[in-house]
Amino acid sequence: MILIGESIHIISKGVSAAVKERNKKPIQDLAVAQTEAGAHYLDLNMGPARKNPEETAEWLVKTVQEVTDLPLSIDTLNPVAMEAGLKACTKARPLLNSASGRTDSKEEMLPLAKKYNTDVVISVLTDRGCPPDVDSRVESIMDTVAYANELGIPNEDIWVDPILLPVSADQKQVLEALEFAKILSDILPGIKSTIGLSNLSNGTPEELRGILNRTYMTMLGRYGFYSAIADVLDQELVRLNRGDLPQIVDVIHRAMDEEDLDISSLSQQEREYVKTVSTLLGRTLYSHSWLED
Amino acid sequence: MDYKAPVESYSGSVREVTIGQGSKAVKIGGESKLAYNFFDEGSIPNPPRFALEVRDTEPDNWAPWVLEPYKDVVSDPVKWAQKCVEYGAEMVCLRLASTDPVGKDASPKEAAEAVKKVADAVSVPLIVYGSGDDKKDAEVLPEVAATCSGQNLLLGPALKENYEVIAKAAQEHGHTVIAQTPLDINLMKELNIKLSKTFPPERVVIDPLSSGLGYGMEYSFTIMERTKHTGVMFKDAMTQMPIIADLAEECWKTKEAKASKEQGILWESMTALSLLLAGANIVVLRHPETLGLVREILKQE
Repeated sequence: MILIGESIHIISKGVSAAVKERNKKPIQDLAVAQTEAGAHYLDLNMGPARKNPEETAEWLVKTVQEVTDLPLSIDTLNPVAMEAGLKACTKARPLLNSASGRTDSKEEMLPLAKKYNTDVVISVLTDRGCPPDVDSRVESIMDTVAYANELGIPNEDIWVDPILLPVSADQKQVLEALEFAKILSDILPGIKSTIGLSNLSNGTPEELRGILNRTYMTMLGRYGFYSAIADVLDQELVRLNRGDLPQIVDVIHRAMDEEDLDISSLSQQEREYVKTVSTLLGRTLYSHSWLED
Repeated sequence: MDYKAPVESYSGSVREVTIGQGSKAVKIGGESKLAYNFFDEGSIPNPPRFALEVRDTEPDNWAPWVLEPYKDVVSDPVKWAQKCVEYGAEMVCLRLASTDPVGKDASPKEAAEAVKKVADAVSVPLIVYGSGDDKKDAEVLPEVAATCSGQNLLLGPALKENYEVIAKAAQEHGHTVIAQTPLDINLMKELNIKLSKTFPPERVVIDPLSSGLGYGMEYSFTIMERTKHTGVMFKDAMTQMPIIADLAEECWKTKEAKASKEQGILWESMTALSLLLAGANIVVLRHPETLGLVREILKQE
């Protein structure tokens, strides 16, 4: 799976202060750390970028490109910042992150993907919010992708985002997103995909977030999912994705197939992955203590 | 063609929990099907039980029509509790309002002695709720547990902040515990898991919080219903505890219940009936006429 490093994010206090003060060092440190950790792309999340959107986006892209050759994912809902960010990408073909089925996004974001010949993330969001189940996600994405195709953006350039909600807030939605991932390549041949993986564990105690993210990534990967915006500083996540931990992948797949998998012969680590699969598939009710359940 | 009604059978069941000791002991829970699904397989060995509420201090904001049935006894919790039993309560729910640190702030010892008097004076099991202040309850409830050692009170609320000390005292002195979480099924399960590490799960009753009709009752309904679904249908051991619907205060504080006696009794009755349908195993009521009305309706089942 293609891993898009998530750490340069405006919600992070360090990043927010650095952007405000135009202090390159903290941003470049994060860029280098993620590049060395094995990221394939770097996400630059600048939020709504209300103040000086053009100048901010340009500064951020240039700052990061000074220290890495990785392609960048320009992540903002502000079309002005988006355009400036895409324009500033000189090293590799960027990813526009993101457009959606919302009217304003179709009108202002999607044309930028065509204009700058970028890859583009299209989420299932619509004017009515996040579609509640698989069918409505399909309906939304078919509509938006058809619109993008008409603009001249081929399926191969589109990375569909099913929208992942925190398991602690709505366990059922986690399963809906997975089911959607399963059928995506059948309904839209040639399409790519991505997901905000860490949102899964938002609200979960910090020390337990990793295993949720890693397990879900592996489950998605089984269905040919293309990429994830993720915490690449989690070494186990990168190793798992690289194929260094085949026995964990195997136990996750078995847990997906067998509801009553016998865990008595498994190691503690393997058991934890099995319990996590069980929770993410909605077989047991989520609680923060799911590993002790 | 003959019509054959579908019959469900379930794989899980709610734990049977005993409250009270000796001749006072009453069992709750134990059902292996959903509440009032009389058409399905499985059994409901124990009917829901009704408690009437008593306070250890005179209430100052009750509507006159809910105070009226207790007007001669409100200054004496023992007599008040006995009155509840006369009215047909199967349990008495004593609320230690006096211990509230923003009110009278009575000492744990004082409160515990009052509980003991009530417990000794009534022929039914006693539910004891502290003020809900997590720090104060952590002092009051262990004192109550020790003073009433061996009487198997139903003690609470044990919250995520103070469950350890309350469970320890309940364990030592043979009581049952109310595990309370704020209208959230995931947090509810979380507390049950943590509590069960050191405390027997067959001595836990869940209080998911009960909101009154028109004031969020549907949230309580949904959580109670989902709790039973995960426990009875999907065998989740950490949601198989019986449920207490502590709804009286939430009904009687509404402006509707304070507007007229008839409306108040209907408000409390409708809330109680709804939460019974969701699966409540104990219902805490305030007005004796509510108790009569709800029982009469259930008889016509």
